[in-house]
Amino acid sequence: MVESPSLTVERPGLLTTVQDAGRRSRALGVPEGGAADPVARRLANALVGNSADAAGLELTLSGPTLRFHADALISLCGAPFEARLDGGPFPLWRAVPIRAGQTLSILGTGRGARAFLAVRGGLDGQEAFGSRSTDLRTGFGGLEGRALRAGDRLFCFVRPHAKPLRAFINPDLQTPTGPNFVLRALPTPEATPDLLAALCGPTLTVSGQADRMGVRLSESVPTPHDPTRISFPNPPGAVQLPPDGRPILLLPDAGTHGGYLTPLVVASVDCPALGQLRPGDRVRFQVVTVREAHGALRARERSLRAVEAALSWWYMRK
Amino acid sequence: MLEAGAPDITPLGDAALVVRSPLARELLASLTGRPLPGVREAVPALGVLTVLYDPLTVGPEELTAALAWRLSGLEAQSENTGRTLTLPVTFGGPDLAWCAERVGLDVPGLVRALCGLTLEVAFLGFTPGFAFLTGLPEGLRMPRLDTPCERVPAGSVALGGPWAGVYPRETPGGWRIVGHTDAVLFDVARADPVLWRAGDRVRFENVSELDG
Repeated sequence: MVESPSLTVERPGLLTTVQDAGRRSRALGVPEGGAADPVARRLANALVGNSADAAGLELTLSGPTLRFHADALISLCGAPFEARLDGGPFPLWRAVPIRAGQTLSILGTGRGARAFLAVRGGLDGQEAFGSRSTDLRTGFGGLEGRALRAGDRLFCFVRPHAKPLRAFINPDLQTPTGPNFVLRALPTPEATPDLLAALCGPTLTVSGQADRMGVRLSESVPTPHDPTRISFPNPPGAVQLPPDGRPILLLPDAGTHGGYLTPLVVASVDCPALGQLRPGDRVRFQVVTVREAHGALRARERSLRAVEAALSWWYMRK
Repeated sequence: MLEAGAPDITPLGDAALVVRSPLARELLASLTGRPLPGVREAVPALGVLTVLYDPLTVGPEELTAALAWRLSGLEAQSENTGRTLTLPVTFGGPDLAWCAERVGLDVPGLVRALCGLTLEVAFLGFTPGFAFLTGLPEGLRMPRLDTPCERVPAGSVALGGPWAGVYPRETPGGWRIVGHTDAVLFDVARADPVLWRAGDRVRFENVSELDG
């Protein structure tokens, strides 16, 4: 029997969790979860020959130090984190072979908020509702439903070793990491002309309240009060306005239903960018039509699928 | 104005459609049994089904037409096929006396009134295991708190607007707490992690005396 490759967490980083492509159980009140920057997740997995939904580690603002107990092939994609392998440089957006005993130390990032670390074979973890993603709020999935701690041991699924590919990813495919974001968004029937003008004209600032559930903006917009509004399903990327008028952009761990006014929904193509928002970043909403939003999504998807197909071909051929 | 019989289906962002229909629950059952291409998830609320779709697989016009066609073939399910669950409740929440006074009953009277109701799980949402229970008569509806509590203890049985509900875990909450249940509403280790399903009937059973 082959022993599953494993790694030990020497330093957990600010908030490091096991994430994959998330779950589809909103009808049971279960949040979607999953990597907050799904483009980084897909590319990191593709670089090591994993399926797009394999579980890996999501790092937030400051990364972990990990010691590998077996040879591995890994990749780190997302915000430009500074990383060291046994003290030497460690490149992002590449497949990098690791030897047993080596230590990867991921430090901070000056831009963006998150990166995804993929290990060939994918990480194991508690599966719930078809996903290994960590749900921090309720405490299930991943590693005991919590963020990594020093001393934790993580296990990977066994995959045959592969020669790392010497390709790099076109930077145009990377999710923007700020500090200035233009987020394409679609008005909902709750968007009055006044609300649209207040939300879509000015540049707004990401406040210190930013986590995997949502990102609050600092500025307050005049909000009509509607105490009769009943709870309603939240779509991904919803922009909510609570009574204090400070917008909340919903991220993957947001509750499935909400009672707050929702005048805008961020276009699917720009939802990965929500995962890269960090306090102090500047955000501008740009109204687009459904047709424009879908055109942009299709264009990016074509490039992503071309990269995934090429990398998959590299790992499949023998 | 909508034409008579035209279903009310509107876009919400670029990857969701909102279907408002008295047949929302029947549509959910139909989509669960026979999924439509491109539909990722269908999420119910009161008289509403939000359909999340993959824009790379299906366009909004095409999906709207498919949903309208599906709706046109559905009939209201007169018969409730849900189970009946009995929830043991220890009454005595911080807002129980306030609620009793508001409806002009003494505390035992309000407890009897609540235990005499058959509530129904309208839909699940907010947090894993939370159910929106419908069926409170007008006289037993409570206004929500002006300022939500930061921490409502897990198992709290509460009333808010037209709803009754039970908080599966400690969360913030703005409803009036009238009791507590030890029932485990969400346990990921169970084969069926969520206790109830939309359509289930729920009765509160007063277990306060047993403790006192």
